[in-house]
Amino acid sequence: MLRKELLRVSRAGGGYHPQFVGREERPLAARAIGTYQGHVGERRERLDAAIEELERESDDFKLVRGFASLLDREAVFETRAPIPPERARRVAFERAEAVGVATEQERSRARSDAAERLGVDPDDIEQSLYADREPNQYLASFESPWSPDELLDRYNLSLAQTALFDATEVRIESSDPRRLVSAVKRLGLLYELRNTEVGRTLFVTGPDALFGRTRRYGTAFARLLASVASAEEWSLRATIDDRGTERELKLETGDVVPPTGEPIAEPTYDSGVEADFAARFEALDRPWQLRREPEPLSVNTSVMIPDFAFDYEHADFRVFFEVMGFWTPSYVEKKLDQLANVEDVQLLVAVDETLGLDPESSTERRTETGEAAAEVKARDHRVVTYSGSVRVKDVVDVLREYESGFIEREAERVPEEVVPDADVISLVEVAAEFGVSVAAVEEKAFPEHRVVGRTLVRPAVLSEIDENLEPGQSLADVESILESRGLSDASAVLSTLGYRIEWEGLGGGRLRRRKK
Amino acid sequence: MAIELRYRDGTIHLADGEDDRSSDLESLPGVEPDPRSGGYRAPAYRYADLRDAIEKGGLPYEERVFDARGGDSLDLATDYRLREYQTDALDAWEDAGRRGVIELPTGSGKTVIAIAAIAAVGRPTLVVVPTIDLLNQWERELEREFSVPIGRFGGGEQRREPITVSTYDSAYLRADDVGDAFEFVVFDEVHHLGGEGYRDIARLLPAPYRLGLTATFERPDGAHEVIADLVGDRVYRLDIDDLAGDHLAAYDIKRIEVELTPEERQEYETAQETFVDYLKSTNLQLRSGSDYQKLVLRSGNDPRAREALLAKQRARNVMMNADAKVDALERVLDRHRGDRIIVFTAHTELVYRLSRRFLLPAITSETGATERRQILERFRDGDYSRVVTANVLDEGVDVPDANVAVVLSGSGSEREFTQRLGRILRPKDDGGRALLYEVVSDETAEERVASRRR
Repeated sequence: MLRKELLRVSRAGGGYHPQFVGREERPLAARAIGTYQGHVGERRERLDAAIEELERESDDFKLVRGFASLLDREAVFETRAPIPPERARRVAFERAEAVGVATEQERSRARSDAAERLGVDPDDIEQSLYADREPNQYLASFESPWSPDELLDRYNLSLAQTALFDATEVRIESSDPRRLVSAVKRLGLLYELRNTEVGRTLFVTGPDALFGRTRRYGTAFARLLASVASAEEWSLRATIDDRGTERELKLETGDVVPPTGEPIAEPTYDSGVEADFAARFEALDRPWQLRREPEPLSVNTSVMIPDFAFDYEHADFRVFFEVMGFWTPSYVEKKLDQLANVEDVQLLVAVDETLGLDPESSTERRTETGEAAAEVKARDHRVVTYSGSVRVKDVVDVLREYESGFIEREAERVPEEVVPDADVISLVEVAAEFGVSVAAVEEKAFPEHRVVGRTLVRPAVLSEIDENLEPGQSLADVESILESRGLSDASAVLSTLGYRIEWEGLGGGRLRRRKK
Repeated sequence: MAIELRYRDGTIHLADGEDDRSSDLESLPGVEPDPRSGGYRAPAYRYADLRDAIEKGGLPYEERVFDARGGDSLDLATDYRLREYQTDALDAWEDAGRRGVIELPTGSGKTVIAIAAIAAVGRPTLVVVPTIDLLNQWERELEREFSVPIGRFGGGEQRREPITVSTYDSAYLRADDVGDAFEFVVFDEVHHLGGEGYRDIARLLPAPYRLGLTATFERPDGAHEVIADLVGDRVYRLDIDDLAGDHLAAYDIKRIEVELTPEERQEYETAQETFVDYLKSTNLQLRSGSDYQKLVLRSGNDPRAREALLAKQRARNVMMNADAKVDALERVLDRHRGDRIIVFTAHTELVYRLSRRFLLPAITSETGATERRQILERFRDGDYSRVVTANVLDEGVDVPDANVAVVLSGSGSEREFTQRLGRILRPKDDGGRALLYEVVSDETAEERVASRRR
């Protein structure tokens, strides 16, 4: 964060655009670092003058000052004086009081008195008097934690944070909502989840903002930015109260780099149970895409962030998946509360079989069964139980039920008899033409084609191929005959026509007639 | 189930339990439904109104606003005997429901009134003051009067007690965190509360009892209306003329005009010319503060505007730091040997120049807490008879019996001027008249500032 007067923004087009710097300012950043390094052992006044000189040479003095203010925090200054300045002052002022200093002569007498009292030279008094004032201090050491490029990154982040000082509200989308929500809470802010044209957006404000726009939470928003920018993908829009004029600030992935340097790419898991499940599910080839950090779901005034979501590959359909893996009664109660009030989505919950409800702390509403799985079911969600680790098969079974529902509905969109124009066409292509999954066309009748493996082939094509085949032909010849008709699955075709391949060594083989 | 009122982060949160009383709740003063957290919320400063309205409406409610940390009533007493106008002021405030602003001239004992109010209310109290010096002074005063530990927010310390003194800055940062601990809040120099950020302090505190103290309630920007809304109306007012000669020392003003040396004159003219040339070349006219603001904005990306501003600053520095002013001060110090003298200037660098030249104890914003306390104590005890300072003593700090003030390079602001005057308007033991010197540079913009003030 920078002091507000060092903020550089453009208000072009009514917006509020921080003037980020790129590699073209690298030389300036390097000179700023160099100026600090070059003034170790000198008085601060000299350093400040050198920085001011750099300001004059640059087009933008605020940029130079911005660099300097970041570097200044890394610099160590110290007072160098023959006697402690506070002591020198006290004695000098006491002596001056006794003398009653107005003229130069009186001053000089008071100074000599003070020197005598402290047993030092009058010049030592002169040197010590205000040696502890900032301009008189010495730069004792300076180690830049940043290379010039890193200073640019650091500057850009600080600049964006400073731009947020005057924000009254921020709206954020993030690929890491969990981290975002916890940062919002930690900073004493409040959020509301709303569906907007750009997706699910977290509207973040502070408690007092309910009664009118306030810039009070600007520094909290600035701090929040560091967490926001740690997500792999994010975007932030802020309403800025720019001396009474409302402006919009937009930031997104890439504008600023989080302070630790590298963005955190991998989402973290709450428990080993979840990590383990993700690995095993991804090893299967199911028509579902596993998403590890799905969007937050709204639960009355708060949000719930499920562990996973499954996206069906052939339709816009998502099943959320939550693993209930903790045992404290308050956790279970909170989860059940969330599950009762979560917005209307498909939600599958894995419940630990050992998970019981505490009859003492649970209200009647919650303990009709006294058993977690039943309670989840009672809240209209699908349940699988587990002990130790979630069985992938159980989850796949549930997903299959969804699949079969889809397939039925898709099959209704495909006629009972399908007659493609092509002589040869794969089931996948047929399904794609109807915009359905393969399973939805598999059971249909194909009056003008034969189903060979996963491909439809007109009988005429098959006979033509048959005529060209001779036992004893090499595999390579056979394959090229098939490929000339667009068939790649040789074994299915050959088996249909009553042939097989007799394998020879590693590479080749010969066509043989199958015994009847 | 009763409506539950709780203090949450600078607001009053109202939970309705299972009942649906939304129409009742929404008709309460300041109350809004909060879709972010559920329930309802009101700004903390409306708490007193809110509670009254709930009681009037006969709604069942449970008050948990101060429960957490408020504690029992404090048993406080004060030995001060109030002067008549002080009693009147306190009565007017009590009559207004223990809310409102008292306007009295500097030196008329506002602190004494506040102490009497704190003792009368007998509830945990937060006193908010503008400067570190006042923080020290109030802390000392309250400790002496009540013999209880006094908490402190500011000057590097954050210690909470049932009676706590805070700077405006610390109170701004901490209000939403400690609001539930104080039922009474005193704003010393309450006109500061008009500043946009500082308003939050009064907004975020639920304290039903509020007292504002000031020598100058009305602000040119009309912000005193905001203060009236947050603290209460002005309930009592007394002019400086009502008090002068009676409770306050009478004072005279002397004006010393000094000339720039030829070198200074040259430097001044050159810098001034650079500035004026720029204005001419860009057709910019400076009629108001906002015009000047425009120029400052422009200097961000226009090197010539920046050069012009720097030139203006140089010109002002020449004027402020004119050698002849140092000579003028030498003559004043020479003439007033044996008197108690405070020297003011707005310029920190000039303070240090004068401190070095005359070996005067100096207090500026740079001065550390210990040293500043020590200098003030020594001045009070008579070990020092002279002190030079940059504005930080402007308001309300108790510096007894100074009879000469010297103002160098005055800024022309009405408020600062009255309050600097107020500094020496302390009743003197021998009834002698106080004296104020105004030292200005001749034939410069500064002179116009001084004449505008007359």
